[in-house]
Parts: sequence; C-alpha cells; structure tokens
Amino acid sequence: MEILRGVDLQVEAGETVALLGPSGSGKSSLMAILSGMERPSGGNVRIAGADFTGMNEDALAKTRRGRIGIVLQAFHLLPTMTALENVAVPMELAGEGDAFVRAAAELEAVGLGHRPGHYPVQLSGGEQQRVAIARALAPRPALLFADEPTGNLDAATGAAILDLLFARQLETQATLFVITHDPALAARCGRVLEMSDGRIVRDRKA
Amino acid sequence: MTLRLALRDLRGGFAGLRLLAVCLFLGVMALAGVGSLTAAVLSGLSDQGQAILGGDVQVEMNQRAATPEELAAFAREGEVSRLVRMRAMAAPGGGGDPALVELKGVDDLYPFYGEFRLRDGALADRPRGMQVAIGPELADKLGVGVGSDLRIGEGTFRVIGVIESEPDWVSQGFALGPSAMMDVDGLNATRLIRPGSLFIAAYRMKIPATADPAEATRRLQRGFPAAGLKVEDRLNAAPGTRRFLERLGQFLTLVGLSALIVAGIGVGNGVGSYLDGKRGAIAMLKTLGATSAMIFRIYLVQIGLVAAVAILFGLAAGAAVPSLVVWAAGDAIPVPPGTGIYPFALILAAGYGLLAAFAFALVPLARARSVPSASLLRGGVEDSARAPFWAYAAALAAGAGIAALAVWTAPMPGFALGFIAAALLLLLLLSLLAAAIRWTLARLPKPRAPLVRMALANLHRPGAQTSRLVVALGAGLTLFTTLAVIESNLSAQIRSTIPARAPSFFILDVPSGDTERFRATAASAAPDAELRLMPSLRASVTAIGDRRIANMAELPEGAWFLRGDRNITFAAALPEGARVVEGEYWAPDYRGPPLVSLDAENARAAGLGVGDTLTVSVLGREVEARIANLREVDWGRLGINFVIVFSPGIFDAAPHSLMGTATMPTEREQAFARAINRDFPSVSAVRIQDVLSTVSGLMSQLAAAIRAAGAVAILAGIAVLIGALAASRRARVYDSVLLKLLGATRGRILGLQAMEFALLAFILSLLALALGTGAGWYVVVELFELDWSPDWGAVLATLGAGAGLTLVIGLIGALPALAARPAQALRAL
Repeated sequence: MEILRGVDLQVEAGETVALLGPSGSGKSSLMAILSGMERPSGGNVRIAGADFTGMNEDALAKTRRGRIGIVLQAFHLLPTMTALENVAVPMELAGEGDAFVRAAAELEAVGLGHRPGHYPVQLSGGEQQRVAIARALAPRPALLFADEPTGNLDAATGAAILDLLFARQLETQATLFVITHDPALAARCGRVLEMSDGRIVRDRKA
Repeated sequence: MTLRLALRDLRGGFAGLRLLAVCLFLGVMALAGVGSLTAAVLSGLSDQGQAILGGDVQVEMNQRAATPEELAAFAREGEVSRLVRMRAMAAPGGGGDPALVELKGVDDLYPFYGEFRLRDGALADRPRGMQVAIGPELADKLGVGVGSDLRIGEGTFRVIGVIESEPDWVSQGFALGPSAMMDVDGLNATRLIRPGSLFIAAYRMKIPATADPAEATRRLQRGFPAAGLKVEDRLNAAPGTRRFLERLGQFLTLVGLSALIVAGIGVGNGVGSYLDGKRGAIAMLKTLGATSAMIFRIYLVQIGLVAAVAILFGLAAGAAVPSLVVWAAGDAIPVPPGTGIYPFALILAAGYGLLAAFAFALVPLARARSVPSASLLRGGVEDSARAPFWAYAAALAAGAGIAALAVWTAPMPGFALGFIAAALLLLLLLSLLAAAIRWTLARLPKPRAPLVRMALANLHRPGAQTSRLVVALGAGLTLFTTLAVIESNLSAQIRSTIPARAPSFFILDVPSGDTERFRATAASAAPDAELRLMPSLRASVTAIGDRRIANMAELPEGAWFLRGDRNITFAAALPEGARVVEGEYWAPDYRGPPLVSLDAENARAAGLGVGDTLTVSVLGREVEARIANLREVDWGRLGINFVIVFSPGIFDAAPHSLMGTATMPTEREQAFARAINRDFPSVSAVRIQDVLSTVSGLMSQLAAAIRAAGAVAILAGIAVLIGALAASRRARVYDSVLLKLLGATRGRILGLQAMEFALLAFILSLLALALGTGAGWYVVVELFELDWSPDWGAVLATLGAGAGLTLVIGLIGALPALAARPAQALRAL
C-alpha cells in the first residue's frame, strides 16, 4: 500500500514545523520515515547530515542516538525504570559515561528535579510527558519529533507542556517537528505543513 | 549495560515469567528427583556392597556343596563363611496353614559385614540348634511370635526372635516368601537337603583389605570354568537388582523428560506472552537507539536469570526427593538409599533444564528482537514477525542436545532413542492435529446461537491459544493415558487372564522315589486335583556344537539358557503347553542315543537348529545330545516348562526331584496345602495366588513411581493452561464486558466459557484416548508381547479426571472476567 506519495520536504536547522492533517493523511508515516523509525520503500531521506536511505533497522537505531529525540502522545516511558533512568537510557545506549549527570540536569530543567526516583505509575500524566520531553532532549538532539504531545492531557496541563516544549526547544536550538490536530498548537510553530492523502498540500510560514 | 538494563526491566517483577519459572521448576524437579533417587539407591547398593553380599566375594552353586578342591581355592582367597538357602514350607507347631519361607542356614561367621539383628524381646542374639529367627511378615502370616514352635521340614523349631535387620537380603534376588534363619545344625535337622532338592550353597569370602575382589573373582571363575559357579564380588553385589534399578531409573527419566518437553511448551508460551507484553518497551528502547542485538541480549539475560533461579529451585526440590521417599515409603525400596547430594544427577537435570529453556525460549526471543520501533505509532496491530532462520536452527540444536544427553546417559541407548523418537512424533502429530482443529472449527457453519458461535470462535480466532493447549495438555494427557493403558493392562493380565488358566500350586522338591505316595496324598486331599509332575535336575550347558561355552568371549544375545546352571528335564512325551515347530519329537519308547528338545526362541538366539549338538554337564558328568526338535513354549500359562528337555533313559538314575503344578478348585487349596505339609514336610507347595499378589504388590509400587513421574507432565500441562488463560485474560475481560453491556447475564457468559473449555477438554480427551491407546497397544502387544486387555474403566477414569481438571481450571480462570464491572473495565482497557 502506498501511504506517502511524492513528499518533498526540506527543513532548516532550528525551525519549528507543525504537521496538520486528518486521520489517515500520512502524518504519522511521514514522521516515522523522518525519524528513522521506519524505512521508506523508495526515495531519499537525509536527516541532520546522515543519509537514511538504505540503512537497516539497527543502523537507523544507532544513527538516531544523539541526533533525534521523540515525544509520543502516550508518553511511552519504560514502566520498570525511574524517571531519572528513563531520561538516562538513550545516553546509556549511546555509551556515554555521564548519562546520569546529564539526565539529572535535564530533569531539573523540566521541573522534576525533586522526583528522580519516582516510577511512571507514581507520576501524573503531565509529569510523565515532562519526563518524556527530558528524555528526548537530554542527548541534545538536532531534531525533536513530537506526535500529538498533548493528546492525552487536559487543556491546562497540555498548555503547560507546550510552554515547556517550546521553551526547551528555544534553549537547545533543536529543530522541532510537531504532529497535531490542534490549530492553536500549529499556530505556535514557524512553519505549518498540511497533509492530505499522502501528500503535503499546503506549506506556509506562520 | 545489558545486565543493568535487564535487571532494571525485571523490577516489574517476575509475574510475566511465572509460567516459565513454574514449568522449568516442575521439569527440572522431576528429572533431578528421579536422577537423585536412582543414584541414591544405586550408591546405597555400592556403599553397602560388602554387607549386601555378606562378604567381599561370594560363590554360589546349585544343589550341591563345594568340592574339597573348590573349598581349598576359596580358603586361599580368605576366611570362608558358608550358608545354604532354599525355599521351604513352615507351619505353626500346633497345626495350621503352612507358608512358603526363604530358609537360610548360616554358620557362626555369618555375617562378615553388616549387622544381623533381632527385634527387642528376642530370646537370644541368634538362632542355634533347634531355634529359628523369622521375618516379621512370617510372624504376621502364621500368627506366631517369640516362643512359638514352627515346623520346617522334619524339625520343630522354637522361634527365638523376629528379624529386624538381615543385611544380605537384597542380594538373594526376588523373594517369594519371608525369611526364616537357623544355623547349620538346625538346617540339617530339617532333612530338607537331600539329593535332587533345590538349594543353593553359598561360600562367602572375607579377603585381606589389600586384595582386589575383582581379581579374586576372576581367579575363581578361571579355576572352575565348568562347575556352574556364580561368582560375585562386593563391587557388584546384587547385579540383577542393580540392572533393574538402572532400567527403572532410565524409564522414569524418560517419563520425566516428556514432562520437561510439555513444560518446555509452557516455557515457550510464557516467554512469548511475556515478550508480547514488552513490545511497547522494546519498541521504545529501539526508538531510543537500542539495536536488535541489544534487545535480544537484554531479554536473553533476563530470561536466563529467571530460568537459572527456577532451575536452582527445581534442583533443590529434586535433591530432597530421596529423603522424602525414604520418609514416605522406605519399606518399598530394596536398599536404604544414601541421603546425600548426587551431583551428577543434579548437573544432568540442570543441563536438561537449560537446554529445554534455550530450545523453547529462543524463537520467541528472536521474534521479539524484530519488533519495529514504528509499532509505537500504530498500537494493537498484530505483527507477524517471524524469527530468523538461525533461531530455529539453534532451537533445534538445543533439542538435539537434549536427545543426545538422554541417549548418552542411558543404560539402554536404543530404548532411549526410541522413546525420544516417539515423543517427537507425538509432538509433531499434536501440532498437526491442533492446526487441523483450528482450520476445521473456522470452517464449520456458524451456529445461530451467538454464545455458541463465540465459544467456537474463541478456539480458532487469531491469537487463540488452542494450538499450544492442544500440544501441551494433549501431550500430558496422552502420556498419562498411555501409562494407564499399560498399567491397567499389566495388572489385568495378572489379576484375571493368567489365574483363570493358571494352576493353584507350584510343587517343588518331590523326592523321585516318593512320587506314588505323593500322588496318593494329593488325591485324598483334593480328589479332583490335576497333578503334573516332571523330573528336574540341575545342569549347565558346556558346549554348543564343538564350541565350548567357557571359551566364548560373549554369549549370543537372548540365549540366556547358556548362562550358568538351570533346571532341565527328561520326558517321554511332549510336555504340556508346548508344540513342536521344527523336527520331530521322539517316540514314547525311544531308548537310543541322547536326543534333546530345545525351546525354539532360545535355540535360534544361540544359532542352533535340528541336527546340531548340545553338551550339558549334570553333577560333573558331560552328556552330548543331538537336537531332535525345537518347541514353541507358551510361557504365559504359568505351567512348569523347561528350555531343555532330554529323551528318557539318560538321567533316570541320576539323583533328581520332581517339580510341577497342581490345579484344583480354590476351596480345596487349604486342605491340599495342609495335607502335603503334614505328609511331605520337605515338599514346597507354593500357592500361585500368593506369588501373584507378591508380584502385583511390586507392580503397584512400580506403577506408583511411574505415575508420580507422569503426574509432573500433567502439572506442567496445567501450568501451560493457566498461562494460556492469563495470556488471554484481557481479551476475555473485554468480551465479557461488551457482552454484559449488550445485555448478557453472567450465567450466559459463564455458559459460554464452560462450552469453550468443555469443547477443548472433549477434543483433548479424544486425542489422548486415541494416541495413548495406540502407544499403549504398541508397548503391551509389540514390546511386551502380552495379550491386549486394558481396563477401559480405569483408563477412562484417568482420562476423565484429566479432562475434568482442564474444564474446572478453565472455568476458574474465567471467573475474573465474569466479575469485571463494565464501567471500570472499559476505563482500564
């Protein structure tokens, strides 16, 4: 089945991009390809200086380390690890010795410096998403993907999370790629892409 | 880092790996238990070899005492103790029913090793002269005690004590009756030892501590090659018992291995559903940069750790089995087993456990490795990821490792190989049947009743556990059914078939000159008794054709009549229960050169045919005879029959006795036994019923051991069932909540579950009945060559219990789904 049909997209470093579109329009598939979570059946993908084309799954995993951070709607924290460990994992996997020091600093930055030893079930939804943001940003990735980051949160918490996300993006100067249904969220991005039927049908600067 | 991540991930608890742990624990416990028990009993035999044999070296001979040359040879090895043992009848001094005893006359040196001890209250420490010490069973059977009189042979003896410990009892082999012990003078007073009577003279040697008993054995065997001596040493005391125990141990090990294979299916299921539950975490770890190899390592370490812990617990439980068995059923074991730890048995069980864990966990592990990180973006989609080829190859190699280990450690490798091949065939068959069942159910016309439709659908819908359950529970139930078929068939054979045709008594040691008087006594006590007596004398085969047995490095397999001493007979007419299959039987009045008739099966095994010659030695005199015919003997009739039958006229004058059978209505048996014992105290009349109950007692002990090992397979099957229920719990809660929302009552939902599991139990029972009966038939008819007469009641009851258990556990497992409250459950789902 062809999901993405001829998507041509170039994004500059440090940009904030929103990806809008109805369900089934191909947003998630585009993000999966751009983040290296999935391999395209054809075409070329170059992200942050790396050519994803032709890489196998393991090569993609290694390439993601330190380059790409991902925040998902359902948080997806590892339930058996504490907040601190969750943040440290990507750096541990990359074999970095100071993983826990940097993880602690990042937790502090998202306002959870006082709860490093808590497990996901002991945290509220908003707190879990903060941990997820810290985990995505701690390795200082060039690219940050967020798939409906506020979809599982109430309006007030969601707003606070967005504030945090954009604030951290500004500080780290990561390129931010947000998938959303929410026009208000899209409005906070520098560039808005609208997808339909596997194609980018509109590309505008906010 | 792998270990760190693996341990961190295990913080969620072992819950998901419980099935893996339970299954491995059960399988390893069974194998470690069987192995330890066998090793314990065998080491008991070895450690107590001196006491069991009653010396360092023992020489036994039949129906004669040692010659002066032999005695001199024994004395050169060391100090010699002499005893005589035989079967005899003992009756209370004041009259009453006689009973068969294993009579032993010992000298003052008895026993060289171990302790002969009487129970408290004995009148002396050992019997002298007209005194006897008796086994506790004899005291119970005859109602006699310390101080009573006991008539044995032609003597009347005072019971001076009840035997508590008789160290050499095991080495005497299969005992038909309890013990009665006296000294040599006492034995002479019974006047039971006379030419032709069946007795064994044993000479036990205590050799210097520095001497090698095996060397002494070889010297004695070489010194008297044709004397029919049975020479044993302390290094291999009770070889028959040892061989039996080794074989029993192997059989139990194989049953335990089947249990481990069933458990292995549980291991596979457990690991599979555990890793299914970890798909989110695996995908996330991959998203964060973990490679497939890392994922594989993390979960391999985790599963390895849990498996190791389960195996350790299994080993600990298995190591305790010998002590438990001693505590629960010490009397049933021939030798007091050692109660130590048997490292080899434990290492072997651990090896089996590790290999099984590896064989069954590898494929799901390899499959988990290929969970794509993108699955985080599309929840709930079942992916059909296949494990790579190498995973299947490695799993197969581990399986082959189990088989190789089993065959390598087996005393009978061929049997082990056959058993394993059969087990593999069964698993293959069950997998095919499971696929066929799902395929068929999916294509049946859909019933109109929605709940019936759902019950059927639960058995074949995607993700249904039917295949695994059919294989795991099916294997367990099939094994159990097979054992039930074999066991019930054997005991039915003993209880009904044989006794219907069998005689009432075996008669031993009728003096050859007293035959007519014996017939008269028998006829007056039981007028309608059918008496069949045949001459019997001891002989050993010394040559076949021109080949001397003593010079043969190895005897042909199956030709057991060539080994040692045996009873031969001579007869004018073809003996009952046999037919000539080759050659011709001699004429009743034949008086020519010696002719001999052989049992066809033995003759063929020895490569002998009509026209060949056979040489036997009787009381030192060698007789060469031409084989005139081969007979097929129906040994199953429990009559007295002989492998070697000579033509008349050769041995008539040699000292011999008669042996045979007496058949009569049950109500005559008591009078017959008393009359024979009164008039012929030296004749043994062994009641067949008593022998049969001794044998079936032994059989039921064996059956209990085999059932215990088989029960582990059922337990493992149940663990798999519980695991399958746990794996499908979410789906069941979801179904039941939706059905409740749509208006179904709890009763109807329970009915749905009952129908599903009843259907499963029914299918499994049919499968187990068909496969178990087939396997049982093969063992009974093809391997044991017995009649096919299983007790269907017992088989169906066993099967019914298994199926009922499946149903009950299925329903209990379904209860949580029933109790789920819709509002709550939907929020949580």
